[in-house]
Amino acid sequence: MRSRVLFARLAPLLACVGLLAVWQVAALTLNNDSFPTALDSIRAIPSILGDKEALINILASLRRMAIGFGTAVLVSIPLGLLMGRSRSVASFFNPLLMVIYPVPKAALMPIIMLWLGVGDLSKTLVIFLGVSLPVIYHSFEGAKAVEEKMLWSGAAMGLSAVERLVRIVLPAALPEILTGCRTGLVLALITMITSEMIARQSGAGNILFNALDMGQYDTVFAMIIIIGGMGIFLDAAFERMRERLVRWSEPQFDIPLSFS
Amino acid sequence: MFVSDVEKAASMNLMPSRSDLKAEAAPAAKPTIAMIEIDHVSQVFQTSSRQDHLALSDISLTVDDGAFVSILGPSGCGKSTLLYIVGGFVAPTRGTARMKGNPITGPGPDRGPVFQEFALFPWKSVLGNVMYGPRQQGVKAAEAEAQSRALIEMVGLKGFEHFYPKELSGGMKQRVALARTLAYHPAVLLMDEPFGALDAHTRTRLQNDLLNIWERDRKTVLFVTHSVEEAVFLSDKVVMMSRSPGRIRQIIDIDLPRPRRRTELLLDPRYQKYVVDIERMFDDAGDDELQP
Ligand SMILES: Nc1ncnc2c1ncn2[C@@H]1O[C@H](COP(=O)(O)OP(=O)(O)OP(=O)(O)O)[C@@H](O)[C@H]1O
Ligand SMILES: [Mg+2]
Repeated sequence: MRSRVLFARLAPLLACVGLLAVWQVAALTLNNDSFPTALDSIRAIPSILGDKEALINILASLRRMAIGFGTAVLVSIPLGLLMGRSRSVASFFNPLLMVIYPVPKAALMPIIMLWLGVGDLSKTLVIFLGVSLPVIYHSFEGAKAVEEKMLWSGAAMGLSAVERLVRIVLPAALPEILTGCRTGLVLALITMITSEMIARQSGAGNILFNALDMGQYDTVFAMIIIIGGMGIFLDAAFERMRERLVRWSEPQFDIPLSFS
Repeated sequence: MFVSDVEKAASMNLMPSRSDLKAEAAPAAKPTIAMIEIDHVSQVFQTSSRQDHLALSDISLTVDDGAFVSILGPSGCGKSTLLYIVGGFVAPTRGTARMKGNPITGPGPDRGPVFQEFALFPWKSVLGNVMYGPRQQGVKAAEAEAQSRALIEMVGLKGFEHFYPKELSGGMKQRVALARTLAYHPAVLLMDEPFGALDAHTRTRLQNDLLNIWERDRKTVLFVTHSVEEAVFLSDKVVMMSRSPGRIRQIIDIDLPRPRRRTELLLDPRYQKYVVDIERMFDDAGDDELQP
């Protein structure tokens, strides 16, 4: 039992080491300039993180991501919940969302850049759009599934319609909402990099693609490791918070799907 | 005490069917006020296949202030629907329901439902669930907690205050649902098979507790059950319903002395006769789904 717990703890680490080992062997056997070894790439990390310019760029990316994600969540949760509880709100927004849903948000980037320039605003807007849809969708599904009798119980206790939405629908749908937010968080990272790939001006994605242009392949792979690491860290941190918030809803024998 | 002398005399023979009880209120021993009036209520549901389904057909029923009225009937005859209409959760297709003479337009804390499905708040602990109503009514946290703890103890869940609903058995959830509704002191209790998931021992205990609360606080109770014995044991009146469409078939006044003690009643031939007569009536109608 103890060894199993220990294994569960170490598993993510082992997975990373294994992946790096495969990479190392593959790079050594292929011996290709554009495919540096894992060790060379890791060695390039400190010089990137030590560089003030690069650090500012990465922090600027993270800031845009935080703002885009935060505003998207703040707008999408109430909208999704309202859509899940009100037929008229749902039928008003549904056509709009159905049109936006399948469009890759990065594909909108050129138009957005045309209107809003290549600065922070465009990139943050793309992140916002990328995060919104899964959060709206999951909030909507969560709100729709709230047991009617639970709302009736609240109404009998004297809760108004707005109070019921905030104090019953929101907590009842929280597990579903947070599932949407978790997807949204990863999408935020993806759209963040993509937006910087299109609007090449600053940011983590910009460092990556500049290095690619200049043939600095160890920097390219180092950036991939850094960005991937950020993703893994953010997801694990979010998952830890989510678990704490919805402990009341988890089935007894849950299989966790996270690195936390 | 809510029964006229005429009916007392006739109590050994079950009263004939009446669809409107108001006519019967005339020579009452003690003046009573109608707490709830259900006035020619019908309920039509649209099914997903776009067919009209008549769930309740022309129901009229008066429940006096302080009365304990049970509703008995086969599964699907509209008992829950009737409670929802009185609770103000569902608007009747035809007819009106009134409380103290005012038409019921929506839910309110004067009518406390205990749902068949419990409908506990899963993100709240047992204590959090029970405290929810009093807190909403503006009772101070410390006071609400003390009252709620007492109620939790009453329903036999002391020690489970900090359990979440998912960690409770069906019968335990049912008891939390009961405590949660009692906690905000509704004048009318609308109870939908509140003891359905309980073992015989706990059921008896909670029946007694409910009767104590009812006698002490002068509550009006509308109580749905599948158990004929439970209905006779608890009630002043038993409303028998039939199915397809849901109709009131008969209303029977239970003229047994109070306070009632189960062990004494079980030996009482009057009690036995009520139970047997009611069961016979359901048998005759061929409503096989009623389980005594
Ligand atoms: N929302 C609804 N839509 C369509 N039909 C409904 C709806 N709710 C109830 N019904 C129908 O109304 C009838 C009465 O349902 P109700 O739940 O009131 O029965 P019940 O007497 O409480 O049954 P049980 O003893 O099984 O709880 C049933 O035939 C059911 O199919
Ligand atoms: Mg029912």
